Amino acid sequence: MKQRRSLLLVLALAALVGAAWLAILFATPQQPTLDQRVYNVAAQLKCPVCQNESVADSSAAIAQQMRQVIRQDLQKGMSEQQILQYFAAHYGNTILLTPPQQGFNLLAWLMPVAIFLLGLGLVSYVIRDWRIQGRLQLAAPDEQTSDETLADPELAAYRAQLEQELADDDPFLR
Amino acid sequence: MHFSDLGVISLILALGFAALTLIVAVLGAVRHSERLVASAKRGTLAVTFFMVLAAASLIISFLVHDFGVVYVADQSNRAMPWYFSIAAFYSGQEGSLLYWGMMLAVFSAIFIFTSRRAPAHLVPYVIATLMGVQIFFTLMLVTVSSPFVRFTSQIPADGAGLNPLLRDPGMLIHPPTLLMGFMSFSLPFAFAVAAMITGRLDSEWLRSIRRWTLAAWSIQTAGLLLGMWWSYHVLGWGGYWEWDPVENAALFPWLTATAFLHSTMVQERRGMLKVWNLGLVIASFALSIFGTFEVRSGLISSVHSFAYSAIGGYFLVFLCVVIVFSLGLFIFRLPKLRPEQEFSSLISREGSFLLNNFLLVGITCATLWGTLFPLISQTFGRLSETVGAPFYNEVDGPIFAVLLLAMGLGPLLAWRRTSSHTLWRNLLTPAIFAALCALILPLAGVRNIAANIGFTVCAFTAGAILYELWRGVRVRHSHGEPYPIALVTLIQRYRRRYGGYIVHLGLILLAVGIIGSHAFQQEHDANLKVGQSVTIGSYHLVFFGNADTTDEAGTETIAAQLQIWHNGQLESYIYPARNFYPHFANEPASQISITTENLTDLYVFLADWQGAGQASFRIFLNPLVPLIWSGGLMMLFGGIICWWPERRRRRTIDTREVSSASGQTLSIQAKPASDEPAALDPVLANAGAEKESRT
Repeated sequence: MKQRRSLLLVLALAALVGAAWLAILFATPQQPTLDQRVYNVAAQLKCPVCQNESVADSSAAIAQQMRQVIRQDLQKGMSEQQILQYFAAHYGNTILLTPPQQGFNLLAWLMPVAIFLLGLGLVSYVIRDWRIQGRLQLAAPDEQTSDETLADPELAAYRAQLEQELADDDPFLR
Repeated sequence: MHFSDLGVISLILALGFAALTLIVAVLGAVRHSERLVASAKRGTLAVTFFMVLAAASLIISFLVHDFGVVYVADQSNRAMPWYFSIAAFYSGQEGSLLYWGMMLAVFSAIFIFTSRRAPAHLVPYVIATLMGVQIFFTLMLVTVSSPFVRFTSQIPADGAGLNPLLRDPGMLIHPPTLLMGFMSFSLPFAFAVAAMITGRLDSEWLRSIRRWTLAAWSIQTAGLLLGMWWSYHVLGWGGYWEWDPVENAALFPWLTATAFLHSTMVQERRGMLKVWNLGLVIASFALSIFGTFEVRSGLISSVHSFAYSAIGGYFLVFLCVVIVFSLGLFIFRLPKLRPEQEFSSLISREGSFLLNNFLLVGITCATLWGTLFPLISQTFGRLSETVGAPFYNEVDGPIFAVLLLAMGLGPLLAWRRTSSHTLWRNLLTPAIFAALCALILPLAGVRNIAANIGFTVCAFTAGAILYELWRGVRVRHSHGEPYPIALVTLIQRYRRRYGGYIVHLGLILLAVGIIGSHAFQQEHDANLKVGQSVTIGSYHLVFFGNADTTDEAGTETIAAQLQIWHNGQLESYIYPARNFYPHFANEPASQISITTENLTDLYVFLADWQGAGQASFRIFLNPLVPLIWSGGLMMLFGGIICWWPERRRRRTIDTREVSSASGQTLSIQAKPASDEPAALDPVLANAGAEKESRT
C-alpha cells in the first residue's frame, strides 16, 4: 500500500511539473525587446575580422557597426531571417556562425545524432553480452558468485529491516 | 657562459637520463631485478633535477633580462614587473613546452616518492611510460623548439614585452594550471600502460590510478575555472565560455576523466567495464596531447592561440604513436579483461553510471566533431565553415540537462537492482523540491521554458543530494551527535562518497549560474557624451568623461568615469578603462568594471572613446554569474576531499570508532557505510557496504 502511495505521489508531482511547463510553453510568449532581437541576430553571425568570435560577443569596430546595421534593419521591420540572409548573400555562408542545415553542412548536425544512436546500440549490445555471460557464469558458478548467493538472503533481510527503519523515520511517509 | 647555456646542457642531460632510465626500468621489470628498478628511480630523480635546472635557468634569464636569448627578448622587456617576467616563462610556445616537461618530471618525482603505495610490479613500467613521454618533450625542446636559442648577430637593447592580454593577474595562475592539468593525465595513462603490460588490473592498481586521475581531474577543473574567470574579466564580451576550439580541447580530457572516475566505481565493486575504463584513461591522455597540439598548431582558428608554429606535425606523430601503441597493448590484453560479474538490471547504480558514461562520452564526441568540422569541411575542398556557440548549445545543452538529472537519480539507486518501493520512496522528496521549483519560478517571473526546465532539473538533483546528506546527518544525530558535528564527521569518515556529493552540489550551483546568465543576460551598446545616461535593468549609468594618464613605465591608461544609480539611489562610481602597453599600441588591454549585487553582475566594458567627452560602452547585466565561481570552488573543494589521503589516520580513527561504537549496536548499520567497510561483525560490515550502495 505504502509502495503504491509513493509511486502515485511521484507520478502526480511529475504530472504537475509537466503541466507547469506546458502552461509556460502555451502562455502568450513575451515580445522580445529590440536589444534582445539585435543580440539574437548578432549571435548567429561571425565577426569577420576576429578569430572565432560572434558579432554579439566581439568588441571590434566592425562588429559594432554590424550590430548598428542589424538594429536599423530590425527597426525598418525586416525579419531576423531576412537580415541573416542579407549578410550571407554579401559575405558568403562563412559569415554564419552555425552551419546552415543543408547540403554538406547537414553532416555537422547529423553526426551527433549518428554518434548518439551508435552509442545506444553499443551500450545495448554490451548489456546483452553481460547478461549472457552472467547466465553462463551462473551455470558454472565459481567461488565468488557462490559466496555472494550464500550471503544474499541474509543481506536481503538486513536490507529490508534498514529500509523499514529509514521509512519509519521519513517525514513524508510517516 | 650564460644561464641559457646551462639550460641547454641541462636539457640534453635530462634527455640522456630519460632514455637511460626508460631502458633500465624495462630491464629491471623484465629481469625482476630490484637493483635495476631502484636505479631507474634514481634516474627519474636525476631527470627531474635537470628539468628543474633548465626551467630555473630560463627564469633567471628572464629576471636578469638576458635579451641575447631570442625567447626572452620576444616575451619580456625591462619595464615589466618581476612577476610578469616570471610568468613570461610559459607565455610562448617554447617556454610552455619546457613548463610541461618540467611539471611532468616533478610529478614523476612525486610518483617515485610515493611509489611504496603503488603496486610494486607496476612501478618500473609506470616509470618507463613516464620517461617515454618525457623523452618526446625533451627531444622537442632540444631540437625544434628550444627556448634557449641565442641571437647570432645583434643583441637587442630591450625586449618586445608580454602580449597585453596576458598581463593580468589571471595570467600568473591560469596557463600554468591548465598546462599542468594537461600534463597530469600522463600519470593515469602510465598506470594504464603498466597494467596492460603486466596484465594485472587488481584493486590496488585501481586505487592508485583512481587517485592520480582524481588529482589530474582537480587540476584540470581548476584550470578550466581559471580560464573562464580570466575570459570573463579580460576579454570584455560579457561571457565566460565561448566553445572556442582551445577551450573545447581543455574540456575533452576533463569529460573523459569524469567518466572514468564514475565508471571506475563499477569496476571496483562489480568487476565490470574493465575494457571501457582502460579506454577512457587512454582517451584522456590522447585528448590532452591533442589539446596541447591543437593550441600550438594553429590548425583550427581560435582566440587563444598566441603562437603558431611548425611543431604541430611532431605532436601529430607523437599522438599517433601513443594511440597505436596503446591500442596494440589493448588488443593484446583483451582476453584478460572479461567482466567478473553479471549485469542484473538497468535500474541500478551501475546502470546509472553506464548512462553517465554514455552521456559524458557523447558530449565529448559531439564537441570533438564540432571542433574538427571546419577542418573536415576544408579537406573536402569547401570553404572553412565555422561551428560556433549556437551549435554546441543546441547539441550539448540537452545532454548536459539529462546528465544533471542522472546525477540526481544515481545516488537513489542501489547496486545490482533496486526494489521499486525504495526507488519511489527515495524519489519523493527530490520530486517535491523539483515540483515546487517548477511552479514557483513562473510566478516569480521566470517565463523562459528552457531555463525553467534547467532550474527544475537542478532543484531535483540538489534535492536528492541534500536529502541524502540530511538522512546521514540525522542518523548520526540520533546517536547523540549535534548536527554540525554530525555533518563534519560524516564527511570526514566517508570522504569519497560525501566529497563526491560536494562536487555534485558545486556542479549544480555552476549549472544554475550558467542557465541564469545564458537565459537572462541583458546587453546594451551605448554611445554617450558627458552628462548623458543609459538605463539597463534596474541600473542607471551617467557618463562623466574620460581621463588619459601615462605611468612611468610608459603604459597609457584611458579611463571613463561613470556614476551608477540603482533603484533611484546613487550607488558608486566606476572606472572601466583600457591600457596601452609600449610596443603593443594596437592591442589595448581592458580593465572591465564588474559590480556585483544580488548575485547579478553589472559588467561595463569601455569599447571606444573620442577625446575626453565621448565614449561607447558595452554594458551587460549578467544574472547569477557569481554562482559559477562559488560552485567551481565547491567542486574543487569536493575533489580535494575525495583525493585527500586517509590511510595514515585511519587506524587511530578506527580504534576510536570501535570503542565508542561498542555500546551502540545500531551505529554501523545506521551509518551510510564507508569505502572500506568497518570491521566489527562481518555480516554487519557487509550489510553496511550494501547499505551504502543502496542509498
